[in-house]
Amino acid sequence: MRYHKTALLFLAPFLTVFVAFYLAPVVYAIYLSLFIKKRIGIGPAKEIFGGVANYIRAFQDTDFLNGLSNMFLFGIVQIPAMLGLAILLALLLDQTRNIFTRVCRTVYFMPYGIPTAIGALIWGYMYAPNLSPFNQILRSLHESTIDFLSPGLVLFSIGNIVTWTWTGYNMITLFAALQNIPKDLYEAARVDGATEWNVVRHIKIPLVIPTLRLLFIFSVIGTSQLFTEALVLRPLGYVADNITPNLYLYLTAARDANYSYAGALAILLAVLIFIISGVFLRRVGSR
Amino acid sequence: MTRPGSAFKAPRYLVFALFFLYCILPATWIAAAMTKNNSQIFTTFGLWFAYPTHFIENLVGLFAYRDGIFVQWFGNSLLYAASISISTTLVCAFGGYAFSKYDFPGKKLLFNFIIATITVPSTALVLPLFLMLNKLGLLNTMWGVILPSLVNPFGLYLMRVFWDSSFPNELLEAARLDGAGELRIFWGIGMPLMPTGLVTVGLLSFVGAWNNFFLPLVVLSDDHLFPLTLGLHVWNSVSHAAGGGKPVYNLIALGSLISVLPLLAAFILLGRYWRRGLTAGATTG
Amino acid sequence: MPLSTPSLILRQRESPTARTVRAKVTLGIAASFTLLVTSLLPASGASSGEFKEPDYSKFKVEEGQITLEFWSWVGGLDKVVKEFEQAFPNIKVNVNNVGGGPTEYTKLQTALKAGSGAPDVAQVEYDFLPSFIVTDGLADMAKYGANEAKPFFVPWTWGQVSPDGKVVFGIPQDSGPFALNYNKKIFDQYGLTVPTTWDEYAQDAEKLAKASDGKVKMGHFYPTQAPWFIGLAWASGGRFFRTEGDTWIQTLNNPAAEKVLTYWDDLVKKGYVSTIPGFTAEFYTALGSGQIASSVEAAWGPGVTAASLNDKTAGDWRAAPLPQWSKDQTFSSGNWGGSCDVVTKQSKHPVAATLFAVWLNAAKGPVVANWINFGIFPASLSGLAYPDLHQPDKNPSKFFGEQNLVQIYFDASKAVSVDFAWAPWFAFVNDNFNKQIDALFTGKMTPKQALDAWQNESLKNAKDDGYDVKGQ
Repeated sequence: MRYHKTALLFLAPFLTVFVAFYLAPVVYAIYLSLFIKKRIGIGPAKEIFGGVANYIRAFQDTDFLNGLSNMFLFGIVQIPAMLGLAILLALLLDQTRNIFTRVCRTVYFMPYGIPTAIGALIWGYMYAPNLSPFNQILRSLHESTIDFLSPGLVLFSIGNIVTWTWTGYNMITLFAALQNIPKDLYEAARVDGATEWNVVRHIKIPLVIPTLRLLFIFSVIGTSQLFTEALVLRPLGYVADNITPNLYLYLTAARDANYSYAGALAILLAVLIFIISGVFLRRVGSR
Repeated sequence: MTRPGSAFKAPRYLVFALFFLYCILPATWIAAAMTKNNSQIFTTFGLWFAYPTHFIENLVGLFAYRDGIFVQWFGNSLLYAASISISTTLVCAFGGYAFSKYDFPGKKLLFNFIIATITVPSTALVLPLFLMLNKLGLLNTMWGVILPSLVNPFGLYLMRVFWDSSFPNELLEAARLDGAGELRIFWGIGMPLMPTGLVTVGLLSFVGAWNNFFLPLVVLSDDHLFPLTLGLHVWNSVSHAAGGGKPVYNLIALGSLISVLPLLAAFILLGRYWRRGLTAGATTG
Repeated sequence: MPLSTPSLILRQRESPTARTVRAKVTLGIAASFTLLVTSLLPASGASSGEFKEPDYSKFKVEEGQITLEFWSWVGGLDKVVKEFEQAFPNIKVNVNNVGGGPTEYTKLQTALKAGSGAPDVAQVEYDFLPSFIVTDGLADMAKYGANEAKPFFVPWTWGQVSPDGKVVFGIPQDSGPFALNYNKKIFDQYGLTVPTTWDEYAQDAEKLAKASDGKVKMGHFYPTQAPWFIGLAWASGGRFFRTEGDTWIQTLNNPAAEKVLTYWDDLVKKGYVSTIPGFTAEFYTALGSGQIASSVEAAWGPGVTAASLNDKTAGDWRAAPLPQWSKDQTFSSGNWGGSCDVVTKQSKHPVAATLFAVWLNAAKGPVVANWINFGIFPASLSGLAYPDLHQPDKNPSKFFGEQNLVQIYFDASKAVSVDFAWAPWFAFVNDNFNKQIDALFTGKMTPKQALDAWQNESLKNAKDDGYDVKGQ
C-alpha cells in the first residue's frame, strides 16, 4: 500500500473541514485562554496576556470543581444504570422474537430520534411541580408532591432524560452485536448441555463486551458534554449554574462574556475526559 | 436459537411493557397537550385529552403563527439535515477509504488524534467558531450551519470499519492489476459494495443534523433560517421572558410532536439498513 | 442620578470630536428645549387626543435604499415595521426574534465581541444595559440626533439610557412600575380589604390562610426574578449599585433589601405566599385556578397575565397601588424591567437606526399597538397621556374588569425614584439570586445570610472579572 499522494486526496475533504471548523477554533480557544481582562476604572476592558492565570483560576474555582464532581456523581450512577438496562433489554429481546418485540424495538429506539432540546422541553413540562402528571396523581391521592427540579433531585431528573433518550440507542447496538454471534456457538453449547443462563453468561456477555466498552466510552464523553438538557430546564426553576461543567462553561462564555476563562475551562475539561477515556480503553484492554 | 417454553416468560413481558410505557410517556403528554388551548394546558390533567379538543385550532394556529414561520423552520431542518447527511457521508466515505486502504506516515497518530478531538466540549468554541465563520463570511447563513456539521469523527471511524469489512484488499489489488485508476476503483467498485455503511452513516448524521441545536444557536440570527429545534427553543424562551413575550405553550407542544415525525418515518422505512450497519460497526469495537 | 461612566469614557478617549459632539449635543438640547416649550404652548388645531411626536425630519438619513436589522422579542413587530416602512420608504427593517432576554443577550455579546454579526438595533432591558455599555459596542445615539426625542419620554427612563445626560445609549421603550394585582373575586369571597400597607397585607394573608384552609395563597414571591425583588427593595429606598469616581460600589445586602426579604420570607414560611417560578406554565395554572389571590406586578404584567390565562379568571382581576410600609410616608413604587432599543457601533446606517429606534418608541402607531396587543407600558409621555390608551373593552383592561390600568401604573411610575443604576456584571447577580433564594426557602439560610452570600459571591465574581468594585 503506497500512494501517499492519493491518500491525501481522499483525506482532503475531511481534513479541510476538520481543520477549518474544528481544529482552528480549538487552537484559537487555547490562544484566547491565555488572556485576562484588565479594566481601567469603570470603562471598557482591555485584554492583556495572562499566561496560565485562567488555568490557575480554574483550579481554585469551587463552582467549577463542584461541577466536575456533579459530573462524576452523575456518571457513576447514570451510565451503569442506562447500560445495565440496555444490556438487559437486548438480551431479553434476543431471546424472544415475535411481533410484539419487533414493535418494542422500534419504540425503544424512538426517543433517540427526538432532538435533545425538544425532549428536555417536554420532560420539563412533566417535571413542573404543579403541571406534572405525576404530581397531579400524587395530589389526588393526597400525597405530597415531588419537586423534580430541586437541587437534591435535579441531577436525577436530568439523568432520567438522558436515560430515556439513550437507552434505546445503546440497546439496539448491543442487540445488533448479539445478533452477530455465530449460531454454531449456540449449537455447540447446547450439545454440551449448557442451560439458557450458561449461554448468556459464557457466550453472549463476553462476546458483547467490546461493544459495551465502546458504548461506555461514548457515554462518558456524552456525560462530560451534558448541556442542552440543563439549558432548557433553567427557565423552569432554580438550576445551578454549575450543574454540569459544560453549562458552567457556556454561561461563562455566553452570559458573562468571559471567553478567555471559558476557553481555559474547556481545555481542562477536554484533557480530563481524554485521560479518563484513555484509562478505560487501556484497562479493559484492546483486543 | 432459543428453546421454546422458556421458564421466565411473564416477568420478561412485564419488563418490556414497562419500558414501552416509559418510552412513550412524553409522547402521550404531547398528544394530550395538542388537544388543549393555552389555559387548559395549565389546568387539566397532563396525560388526558381535552374535550372538545382544540386540536384543529392549535394546528391552524401553529401554521399561521407569524405568517407560517413554523413551516419554514420545518423546511430548514429538512434542508440542513439532508444536505449535511449526504455531504458528511461522502466526506467520511472518502476519508475512511484513505485510512482503510492506504498506508502513510503518521496514519495511526492522525487517526487517533481525530477521534480524540471528540472530547473537547463544543460549547467553549462559541466565540472562536463565531469569529471563524465571520471571517469566512458564513455567519448567519445556511452554509454556516452546514459546513461545520460536516466534521464527524465518529462517521469517519464507522466508514473505515465498513471499508475494512466490505471491500476486501484482494479485490482492490486485483482491480489495480487490471490497470484501473484509484478514483475509478473507489467509485466504481468500492462504493457499490457499501450500501449498508452509507445508509448507516447517512442516517446517523441525518439524525444528528436534525437534532442540531447548539450550532444554529451560535451561528444564526435571522429567524427565517432557524431549524425547528432552535425555533421551538426561542418560542419557549420568549414564553418565559418578562416584558413583551407572549406565551404559546400549546403551539410549542404541537410543534415538538411534528418535529419528530420525519425521523420516525426514516427509522421505520430504513430500519433494516441501520440495524445491519450497527452490527458491523459494533462488533469491531 | 448621574452615573459618571460615560463622561469618564469620553475623557479617556480624548477624542478631538468630543468637544464637537458636546457642542452639537448642547445645540440639540437647546433645540429640543425650544421644541418642548413650543409644544406646550397652545397650538392651533391641537386637541386633547393629539399625540405629540418628535420631528423626524431632523434626522438626516442618507439617500438610497437602506436595510436595518432589528433584534427584539416584542410580538407583532412585523406589522408595526410595515407602518414605519410606509412612512420612510427608503428604509426597510428586518425583524428577528432571537429569543427573550438572556437568550438574545448571549448572541449580542458574542457579536459585539467578535466585531461583526450584530444588528443595527436591538432590544435591551435597562438592567442589562450597562453590561453592553461596557463592551464599547453601543453607538452614542446623541451623535445621530437622539436627544431630539428626550422631551418625549418619562424622565427617569431617559436617565436609564443616558446616565450623564449627554451620551445616549438607547431609546426607552417601556417601563414596569409596580402595582398590586389582586383577584377581586377571591377578595370578595373571603372578605379581604385591599391592603394599603404591608402590615395590612400580612393581616389579609393570615385571614385568607385560615378561611381557605391554606388552599389559597395571598400572594406570590418570584424566586427566580432578581429584578422583581430589587424593584421592591427600591420602593423601600434600597440602592444596589453605584459608582464613586473610578470604582463601583455594590451593596446587594442593603438595609432595605434585608427588610423586604425578611418580610416576604416570613410570609413564605407561614405558607401564605407561593414561590412558583414565574412565567412558567405552572405559575399560570395556579393563577388561573384561583390558588393565588394577588401578585405584585409591573405595568406589563397584566398584559402577560391576560395572554396566558385566556379566559380563566378573566374579569376577576384589579390593580391597586403598591402597599407601603407606613400610612404617612410619601407614596413610592419600584420598577421591574422595561427595555430600550440600542444602536450598535457595527451599524452602517446609524442615523437611520436611531430614527427607527426613536420612531418605534415615540410614534403613536407602535406605542398604542404595543400596549393594546401586548400590554407593553410605554415610556413615551405622549403614549401615557393618550386617552385612547385606556380601552376598557380590550385586554389587558378587559381582563381587569375594564379598570383604567394606565392611570394606576402612570401614578406608580411617577413615584419611582430616579436614583437607580445597574452594573455590568448584573447577569451574574441575576442568576446568583436564584441560588440564594433557593437556599433561603429550603431553610438553609436566614434572609440576612442569603443577602450576604449574594453580595459576597457576586462581589468575588466581579473582582475576578477585573472590575474595580467595593462592598460599601
